[in-house]
Amino acid sequence: MHISELSLRSFRNYNDLSLTFDDQINVIIGDNAQGKTNLMEAIYLLAFSRSHRTPRDKELIQWDKEYAKIKGSIIKRNRRFPLEIIISNKGKKAKLNHIEQKRLSDYIGAMNVVMFAPEDLNLVKGSPQVRRRFIDMEIGQVQPAYVYHLAQYQKVLKQRNSLLKDLQRKPEADRTMLAVLTDQLIEHGALIVERRFRFLQLLRKWAAPIHEGISRQLEALEITYDASVKVSEDMDLETIVPIYQEKFTDIETKEVERGTTLAGPHRDDLMFFVNGKDVQTYGSQGQQRTTALSLKLAEIELIKSEVGEYPILLLDDVLSELDDFRRSHLLHTIQGKVQTFVSTTSVEGIEHEVIDQAGIFRVDNGTIDIEK
Amino acid sequence: MYYPEPISKLIDSFTKLPGIGPKTAVRLAFFVLEMEEDDVLDFAKSLVSAKRELTHCSTCGNITDQDPCSICQDDSRDNKLICVVQDPKDVIAMEKMKEFSGKYHVLHGAISPMDGIGPEDINVASLINRLKDEGVEELILATNPNVEGEATAMYISRLVKPSGIRITRIAHGLPMGGDLEYADEVTLSKAMEGRREL
Repeated sequence: MHISELSLRSFRNYNDLSLTFDDQINVIIGDNAQGKTNLMEAIYLLAFSRSHRTPRDKELIQWDKEYAKIKGSIIKRNRRFPLEIIISNKGKKAKLNHIEQKRLSDYIGAMNVVMFAPEDLNLVKGSPQVRRRFIDMEIGQVQPAYVYHLAQYQKVLKQRNSLLKDLQRKPEADRTMLAVLTDQLIEHGALIVERRFRFLQLLRKWAAPIHEGISRQLEALEITYDASVKVSEDMDLETIVPIYQEKFTDIETKEVERGTTLAGPHRDDLMFFVNGKDVQTYGSQGQQRTTALSLKLAEIELIKSEVGEYPILLLDDVLSELDDFRRSHLLHTIQGKVQTFVSTTSVEGIEHEVIDQAGIFRVDNGTIDIEK
Repeated sequence: MYYPEPISKLIDSFTKLPGIGPKTAVRLAFFVLEMEEDDVLDFAKSLVSAKRELTHCSTCGNITDQDPCSICQDDSRDNKLICVVQDPKDVIAMEKMKEFSGKYHVLHGAISPMDGIGPEDINVASLINRLKDEGVEELILATNPNVEGEATAMYISRLVKPSGIRITRIAHGLPMGGDLEYADEVTLSKAMEGRREL
């Protein structure tokens, strides 16, 4: 799969831009604050209909403009189709094949993108929220229905938290509605946990050998699911549900006291171990970096195996963060099969072999010159 | 601001309607100026009488010009069957089907703690009273298939269950005349869940 054309209007610092890309490697060169990441963001947004950098869509619209528009031409299984995102003060429209898709789950998955940015190094040492977002986004890409269940879960969670807050003020009030919302939470929550388990099994299968390769056979990577409700990966939906029910019966009093939902997939986490040691707490910077890189490369292979085609890879300013060995390992893995966008301040340090074949784009304050 | 006062007032009134933005309001207001005076008078009268003459039926909660409403008064309808819906518009949708011969109960909303709507804010209490007196045998829950509608249905079912009345929920699944291949995954999985023996 690749993106052949991209046009931007009033997006960030791009006034009006139209580009044609190489179907292999595209290098985006420019000084800081010229618009390299904005270009990466635009491609990411086209895939997920939201930015990786900000939840506030307004920031994406160029200063003093009414709306921003991103349009791309995608080629997947030898078929070309257009994607379009329009952001205005009133909201956001996502169009697939010129037709507006009202539901996120109908849009996401049309174009698969894997991004590796400096903040992804936080995947290992950052907060649990970062890892949950990672797993949710990745499952959503290969299983659009997951996005729907996640949205339902979040809605029920919001309702339940509101109710728990009310009950916190008057604990003697009737709790029938709480029981109803607990049932609903379990229905969607158990499904999410079960899907995450299945995904983790796939991810592990791809990540372990990749990690071994990057670490020159020195490190073994293990990924585990840290669940807020004691369920384990060998369980299916029918087993998970009663365990959840029991948990919520146990913690009801505590939940009312605290006025919020205390267990469920929104409180779960992922843990990474290298040679048996928790990387988040005991790993070196280098090990944390390698782990993040292995996960991203595993994602590429996973998407290929689930969707049938390689995703588009965005490497935003990360080549400079990796040492020579990891850098060449990365470039070697993607060479000739994954359309890749690399943003960097200079081409120094990137193998000439790769650069020679790549499309080179020079970014200068919102304008782009094509060098090759 | 550039319009004479009567017309700018009319524009303001139109913008109060749902789905009408400022531009449409201006278009509608100018259209009214072109209309026959009798039509305009009729229109104004209907607006006022719709508001003044309609009330909620004291039995089922549906909007009506007589109390109890024509459906509740209709003796040919089956008293043992009550279909619970969220909105008066849902009653009309059901009636169009011409196959349901029971009675209705209109909730006027769904439970949503997030929006401060609890069970006491929708028309549930009168439903429970109705079930006590009327010898109802089956309650059909036809609230919307979204999070709030589903929660409301589950809530009512919990309240009514102990009485032993049969409680059913309308099916979710594929639209008739549709193509299987165009159905989204979620609808399809609901349809699979609700499959039945032939």
